[in-house]
Amino acid sequence: MSDIGTYSFKRAHVDLDREEISRPSLSYWQDAWMRIRTNRRTLASLCTVVFMVLVAAFGPMLWHFDFDTQDLNQTSKPPWASRAMTVIEPYTPWVDRPAVEQWSNTGAPADIQAVGFPSIEFVRLTWSPVEGATRYTVFRTIVDPEDGPLGLPLGSAIGESANSYEDRIDLEQDRYWYSVEATFSDGSTTSSTVPIDVAAATTLAGAIESQWVESDSTLQPGDTLNTPWHPLGTDYLGRDMLARLMKGAQISLFIGIVAPLLFILLGVVYGSFAGFLGGKTDSILMRFADFVVALPFLLFMILFKLVFGIGAGESGILPMLVALVLLSWPAAARLVRGQILQIREEGYIDASRLLGTKTPRLILRHMIPNTMGVILVTFTFAVPSTIFTEAFLSFIGMGVEPPIPSWGSMCNDGRKTMETTPHELIFPAIFISITVLAFNILGDGLRDALDARMRSTE
Amino acid sequence: MAEASNESVANVIPGSGRQLIRYGVYAVVGFIVMLFLLGQVNQCTGMRSSSIGAVHAGSGTITLNLAQEPPQLDSTKATDQVSGMVLGHVMEGLLRYDADNNLISGVAESWSVTDTEASFTLKQDLLWSNGTPITAHDFVFAWRKAVDPSTASQYAFILFFIENAREITSGDMPVESLGVTAVDDYTLHVKLTEPTPFFLSLTAFPTYFPINQAFYESRDGRYGANAEDLIYNGPFTISQWVHNANVRLEKNQNYWNKEAVHLNVIDFAYILSDANAIINLFESGDIAQAGLNVELVDRALRNRWDIRQHVDGSVFFMEINYREGRLTRNYNLRKALQYVNDPSELVNKVIKLPGNLPGESIFPVWLKGVNGKFREEFPAKPMMTNHDKAREHYALALEELGLDKITLVMLSGDNPSANKQSEYYQSKYAKVLGLELKLDRQIFKQRLQKMTDGDFDLVLAGWGPDYADALTFGDLFTSWNENNRGRYNNPEVDRQIDIAKNSSDPNVRMAAFARVQDILNEDVAILMNYERGSLYVVHDQLKNVARRSVGPDPDYAFAYIVDEES
Repeated sequence: MSDIGTYSFKRAHVDLDREEISRPSLSYWQDAWMRIRTNRRTLASLCTVVFMVLVAAFGPMLWHFDFDTQDLNQTSKPPWASRAMTVIEPYTPWVDRPAVEQWSNTGAPADIQAVGFPSIEFVRLTWSPVEGATRYTVFRTIVDPEDGPLGLPLGSAIGESANSYEDRIDLEQDRYWYSVEATFSDGSTTSSTVPIDVAAATTLAGAIESQWVESDSTLQPGDTLNTPWHPLGTDYLGRDMLARLMKGAQISLFIGIVAPLLFILLGVVYGSFAGFLGGKTDSILMRFADFVVALPFLLFMILFKLVFGIGAGESGILPMLVALVLLSWPAAARLVRGQILQIREEGYIDASRLLGTKTPRLILRHMIPNTMGVILVTFTFAVPSTIFTEAFLSFIGMGVEPPIPSWGSMCNDGRKTMETTPHELIFPAIFISITVLAFNILGDGLRDALDARMRSTE
Repeated sequence: MAEASNESVANVIPGSGRQLIRYGVYAVVGFIVMLFLLGQVNQCTGMRSSSIGAVHAGSGTITLNLAQEPPQLDSTKATDQVSGMVLGHVMEGLLRYDADNNLISGVAESWSVTDTEASFTLKQDLLWSNGTPITAHDFVFAWRKAVDPSTASQYAFILFFIENAREITSGDMPVESLGVTAVDDYTLHVKLTEPTPFFLSLTAFPTYFPINQAFYESRDGRYGANAEDLIYNGPFTISQWVHNANVRLEKNQNYWNKEAVHLNVIDFAYILSDANAIINLFESGDIAQAGLNVELVDRALRNRWDIRQHVDGSVFFMEINYREGRLTRNYNLRKALQYVNDPSELVNKVIKLPGNLPGESIFPVWLKGVNGKFREEFPAKPMMTNHDKAREHYALALEELGLDKITLVMLSGDNPSANKQSEYYQSKYAKVLGLELKLDRQIFKQRLQKMTDGDFDLVLAGWGPDYADALTFGDLFTSWNENNRGRYNNPEVDRQIDIAKNSSDPNVRMAAFARVQDILNEDVAILMNYERGSLYVVHDQLKNVARRSVGPDPDYAFAYIVDEES
């Protein structure tokens, strides 16, 4: 082959115009954001997630109810329950019980009536006694008994001339049918029934203590006031459900986000190490990962609880976090290792290495960013499953300890009264469902937006 | 390319949104259909072991549930309520309770009790279900067995009123030295350690039931483990006992008073403790009786069921730990807790179940006193809740203990009612005193273990009576009582109980108990919570079911079924 003379070459004309990129260059994130922006479903779920995080972070600070303040006069109230309350005198034991003025001539207790104002604090009944009766039993029911059973036996007044009874147990603002049944010495009974409307009531001192009114309030007994609204109702001890759900969101989202963040980070480091080194090291490391997968989570959670010396009544959130991090990383490690193995063989890695790039830079600059899509998608799918794990563990009583609520423990509490007050179960269940669904849809959308392979098929 | 991808995304989304909705609808519809189908399958194959229904007048059969399987039915070892209930139907002691809770003659024909001894003449010609005669020797054998240290019966203490029983159980004397002798086949003679005015009621207690020695020994250690490992002398026999499935009782044809027994079969067809499941069985007409909890009351009212109340006699209280090193030894701290305590609020607004009474004293309202009721003759000091005084005492306690803040551990059961109560106290103490309460929730066995170990500051505990006398509650906080879990130790309480135990004069005894009632209140030995009551529903046709606070409960021995028409 003869030498090629220098003159055989001609300086090429550089056509800068042609080289110029006609559209602005898009970075990885700009591209991803563009996809997310146009995907309404992903966008909606992203908004939901951001909203939940904001609610958890700032909600309890802004909301005027404390999650642990009990109001035993308003237990298990649904959101639409009436808020009006009548101010009454403080309760004092009923000492000046009325004397018998008149005996019944109908053979059954007669003239049953409420003494004073019948309210949820107390209902005081008197009646005209019957001659020959040995005992009077007072019943109460929420449907007109007509000729059927009289309902809930409340208690008895002993003696022929007994003519009063005070009912204080579990009264709610409602219409009750009170019956007084006289028992005679031969065992026969007669009864009569009267409906009584029971009003919601509070003492002025109680209203001031609950901060429903100012301490210099001029309300008099008999006036009415409106109690603050519980938008999601109250639970079995009269605590505000919204405040508890927001407090519960802190726990659920903390565990749900921090645990995956930590175990995926661990998995990424471990997986990229194994994938990059390859060979025997890779085999050993991955067998160890298989071993970790086989460890039972619940058992370790209990063990950690013991090891950390978490005593009775102390929150189990820390051992839960540790157990999650130590046992959940292998999935992420496997995924990242697979990616790294693949990327290691790509041309641009060889090129970069030929240009003298050092290993750390190689991993950080070329390999990790290329697995970023997979990592993010794994993360968004790990979040809902972790939230679910936390809810489950709190449901079975392994997680938070009272008074701190968590969505799972609230579900467990609400489950017991599912038939009578369904809102105590439904609201935490809705919060769990919406959050888990939002994270899942977000993960789906992120995969569409970030996954390099999906992009190359377009 | 960016544009293209934009387009494709834009195209895909509405389509996939519709798809998602479609799948969602499919899923919901499929779920409902599946629920319906499963319901049908359940109705065909459900765990129904009898198709006869709750009550069957023709055959004299009633169907019921047991809350749990009896661990075994050896009367010397039985401790739980279910075993006691079943044993009460199939066995009989010297005396028994009738449907109105009066003590009536059982195996014994006549009896006499003095301060130092008791003697019983037995009915002749009574037979065990296998045809063996029932003799005084059967009682001697059973009672010796119960106090024998090798039996390790948890209820041995209930025989401690008999001479030498305590020494035998602690291994210091041979079982033969027990102060009970069969003078002949039909005369039983008992020596008492101390005046025991309520001894007759003890003879109706399961631990006092007879056991036939020959049969016991023939079972080779399996006595009471199965239906065929028992012989019976009560109104019923166990005809079938399938472990963890059902227990079926049939009328005992050898029972001396079988004319008074109207039911032929009591079929405990379900072993079930879930209140909702039990009430569902009652609603569908499968069982004749069911308990109600507070969540089920509205349902029962709307169904217009005939609801009844039962006071089971138990008293619930907060026990305080007095062991060395516990903060709760501090009097001002206990006094502060006492001033916060509001049993009436607890019962009316937290427990919410009628029948429960606010606790005022360790001695419940139903106990007999000198002539009438103990609590009417010796009223307990009214407890006045006073938050200001509570805070004063709390401040004093902090000063004395040199602390800025007090944290206590409250041990409680792990069930909805106990959880509610403990959370109520937690918030209450925090709000009124600023005291932090940590909740230690444990299942029954574990809670009992922790109570025995003294691993608590406060514990939500309760005590059910073993016999109908104030002593069953009165001696709870003596220094020698194993069930004094907080190790409360007050020589004056010990002294008063000693006085009560060594007298048979009701005036002396009740005065001593009244003194104990006052001391426990003044010294804040315990904090009272409530006296337990319960609600239940019974089938319209089933009558004369006895409920009682002491002894086998409920008792169907003399129950009968009325025809639907009547």
